[in-house]
Amino acid sequence: MKYYIKLSLILLVFCAVASGILAYINTLTAPVIAERKAREAIATREALIPGATFSEAQTATGETYFIATKPDSDEILGYTFIAAEIGYSSTVQTMVGVDKDFKVLAIKVIDQAETPGLGANCTNDNFTSQFSGMTLEKLYVDKDGGAVVSLSGATITSRCIANSIRNRIQAVQADLATGGTQ
Amino acid sequence: MNFSKELTKGIIKDNPIFILVLGMCPTLAVTTSVINALGMGFAATFVLLCSNIIISMIKNITPPKIRIPVYIVVIASFVSIVDMVMAAYLPDLHKSLGLFIPLIVVNCIILGRAEAFASKNNVIMSIADAIGMGLGFTLSLTVIGIVRELLGAGTLLGIRMTPLTYDPMLIAILAPGAFITLGFLMALMNMLKEKK
Amino acid sequence: MGYIGELFVMAMTAIFIQNFVLSRFLGLCPYLGVSKKLDSALGMGMAVIFVMTLASAITFLINKYLLIRFDLMYLQTIAFILTIAALVQFVEMVIQKNAPALYKSLGVFLPLITTNCAVLGVAILNTTAFRTDGITNYNFLDSVLNGFFSGVGFTVVLLAMAGLRMRMEKAELPKSMQGMPIALILAGIMALAFYGFMGFRI
Repeated sequence: MKYYIKLSLILLVFCAVASGILAYINTLTAPVIAERKAREAIATREALIPGATFSEAQTATGETYFIATKPDSDEILGYTFIAAEIGYSSTVQTMVGVDKDFKVLAIKVIDQAETPGLGANCTNDNFTSQFSGMTLEKLYVDKDGGAVVSLSGATITSRCIANSIRNRIQAVQADLATGGTQ
Repeated sequence: MNFSKELTKGIIKDNPIFILVLGMCPTLAVTTSVINALGMGFAATFVLLCSNIIISMIKNITPPKIRIPVYIVVIASFVSIVDMVMAAYLPDLHKSLGLFIPLIVVNCIILGRAEAFASKNNVIMSIADAIGMGLGFTLSLTVIGIVRELLGAGTLLGIRMTPLTYDPMLIAILAPGAFITLGFLMALMNMLKEKK
Repeated sequence: MGYIGELFVMAMTAIFIQNFVLSRFLGLCPYLGVSKKLDSALGMGMAVIFVMTLASAITFLINKYLLIRFDLMYLQTIAFILTIAALVQFVEMVIQKNAPALYKSLGVFLPLITTNCAVLGVAILNTTAFRTDGITNYNFLDSVLNGFFSGVGFTVVLLAMAGLRMRMEKAELPKSMQGMPIALILAGIMALAFYGFMGFRI
């Protein structure tokens, strides 16, 4: 019995040392990860609606979006927000920029792990650029009667992007119509 | 047993993938492109090297009865370190390797080398063994990655290699292509061995 | 959709659409290593189903009540693999003592399961998996059942592979193709067949 207690103690010491080291490394890398994510979000926003100042806002349901205004006035240029939905094998996150009438200006897929060669092609420019200029009623994939041309062999990924953008636009639009919480 | 022999055995004679057929999951899953293959290869090599060093250092103070759990703790710690560091500094690679980074823990090559080599040899030899095996693993992954990326996307390291008229054979970077590519490469290795 | 529908989707996804072995590339070592004979494949499959179900249950509790509660997510890998290793040892001891007959058929496969990445894989995937609505995370029962169905998916293709390889023994092959190379190519063709299920979204 005593022998087994000794064994457990030795194993415990190993685990404790390992956890200590990992905790230390986590304190080093966690801020780097957070900072990079924040920096990337800012860069993407600025690429979607160039030359605007952004201010954070929240919908009544507590989801964050950004209002883009002209730098020197209060004139609203548009809005940016992140649309997310489950695709084929991962959650696909897209950052969307729309103008003040909620017509899509540009989109960028910021996070996905879809099948390489099929769904993962959703990050390509020739897929994302077709969204520019689309209005709410066009934001369906071609199979559902919309204007979004699906990626070949990846209808699910394409549909999830179109649907997620449409849903988020509707959510933000509805929120602003009811006064919002700016 | 000498240093250089331990260093080179993993590359051809005891190649972990083509000869020993170990660590199949990452081999097939992440070799969709050369860059992923290299990333996985180096990540696994790093873990193998560090865990081999530590395990051969502590081999005298580990009671034999709990050696496997101790090895697992050591390996899992290094895997977590690689995971965190990659997420911080190589986010794209981290994303495309995804689940297979934590799964380096159960890569049979690493636990296998710990048990079969590092726990019986001194630190210097264990380093040689880890580098040799790691290189063998990385090289094999890269070869598979080259074949699959070239056939399936017509590129190497993202740079176009084939004429624009080449219509990429998409199947090569999908799951079935992984198995078939490795099958043919292994048959090729067997053929070369027979000829000798 | 009721819970039965939810379960049906989960089972179909785990067994056919995103099969652990052929689509997710998990558990390949036993898939290629223990598929030479039908009876040993069956033993391995049963052992994997058993351990995956149990491991899903325990890792779910550890994740929810230890790692998330105390903000220790960076210890996930180490906590999960130790739990699985301990679990496998424990199961081995219990079966050996109480069910010698079962131990005879499963015993040899149990130690191999610790390093089966399908078990750790399902534990990690459960923590990030969603139900069909795309919002709700898996609860305890979902995780356990997903573990079970994933194990079944593994067993189905393992048995199919063993059946194929037993016939392949009788085929005349070039010497360099015998053994592992032809097994891999068979697996590739099987994966191709499973691609027929791809895109099915129930």
